[in-house]
Amino acid sequence: MSHRTAGEDEIDVSTTRKALLWFLWLWIAAVTVIGAGFSPLAQGFAGLQGDSPLSSRIVYFHVPVAIASFIAFVAAGVTSVRYLRRREPRFDRSSRAAIELGLLFGVLATVTGAVWAKVQWGAYWNWDPRQTSIVLALVYYGAYLTLRDAIEDPETRARIAAAYGALGLIVAPFLYFVMPRMASFSLHPKPASAEMASPILGLVLAGTAGQVALFAWIHNLRCRQLALDERRGARPEEDEP
Amino acid sequence: MSRPVSSWVAETLAILLKEWRGELRTRYALNTVALFAVTTLVVVSINLGPLGVSRAALPVLPVVLWLILLFAASAGLPRSFVHEEEIHTAAALRLAATPSALYCGKMLYNLSLIYLLELLVAPLYLMLLELAVAEPVTFVAALAAGGFGLAAGSTLIAAMVAQARIKATLFAVLAFPVLLPLLVFAVQLTLGAVAGDPKNGLVELLILYDGTLLVAGLMLFPVIWNP
Repeated sequence: MSHRTAGEDEIDVSTTRKALLWFLWLWIAAVTVIGAGFSPLAQGFAGLQGDSPLSSRIVYFHVPVAIASFIAFVAAGVTSVRYLRRREPRFDRSSRAAIELGLLFGVLATVTGAVWAKVQWGAYWNWDPRQTSIVLALVYYGAYLTLRDAIEDPETRARIAAAYGALGLIVAPFLYFVMPRMASFSLHPKPASAEMASPILGLVLAGTAGQVALFAWIHNLRCRQLALDERRGARPEEDEP
Repeated sequence: MSRPVSSWVAETLAILLKEWRGELRTRYALNTVALFAVTTLVVVSINLGPLGVSRAALPVLPVVLWLILLFAASAGLPRSFVHEEEIHTAAALRLAATPSALYCGKMLYNLSLIYLLELLVAPLYLMLLELAVAEPVTFVAALAAGGFGLAAGSTLIAAMVAQARIKATLFAVLAFPVLLPLLVFAVQLTLGAVAGDPKNGLVELLILYDGTLLVAGLMLFPVIWNP
């Protein structure tokens, strides 16, 4: 690698960074272990064989990744707006990486949700308002990647993609917040956190912090990788995440 | 902007007139949209009409009406910008027109096209399928607000797509997720209008989505349009 001399994008594995990363892994592991093994069981959930409602414990993963995906899409929207203001390629890379990761977290939320739905509601897919919304969000941001592939010129690609990403700042809140709330019927419980017992809410929030930090870390890696690709002159659109 | 509002309005109207003049010369969009709408209408009417299925299928009918409108619109609307790139008039237009006026002019053109389409399709649909509307005012409101959102969203997406390859396919891929919330609201409102018990707040929600799409279009269009 003859390009490692240049400054900001160099893979910097300082001790602090390593320590922070270890802390992040420990944090996520702790939330998982406490959540899966020791947390109080939420009322009103089904058990696998009709016994204690163990299935509710997937909430410590399912809700955090769903929130992380939304945060990723909002971050992508914000960096898209910054790209349109400043026209610096790093913002383009940043919003692309955020959308890729938002899709990843969104798929995780959808899959864990489907598994939970099978246990709780009896079917993997019920077109519950939230299920509908997340599918629309995934399609919207999946289309973002298609849009990028369809434009040759890098500057045009970044500009149009940023406009589409910025439009997501309007579409995503509608999908995540407005549509699920306006539905007359939803299988999902109301998001009012007051109904949750405080240890459960605390663990969900801790899990969310962990997933968001995980997003930030992978996002940083992906941005540097995209920067290196661009510097090498390779077409970054060719290697998939 | 330092220029008076009246010149901006004049510019918008000039764009609108230019679009219609061009359209009446070729009648490309009119023909495509009308033929698509009538063809699908006939197919639906043959299979779902009074002799086709039982009245139990009634809730399906408003959904199908909006599907016809959506696909007919997406057959004709992207044309407004794609055509400029194809005949290489986009550069001249960039020099001549203020971006916001251009967006509004194109949007008004698309809006008039959609309202014409609805004027053609909706009465025929109600007649052919013997669909009785309990609340005609709500029904018209749903068509008006839904059509407005279709026009605002399609115009914006069409401007993006015009600068890419594989324009026609890409338009559907990009536009449908943006238009789907709108369509869900519009279908629910239409269902409510037909059945006579529209849910509260749907009209407001539809108008809110229309407004946000329009504002987003006005804000984003200049950066999409100008390299």
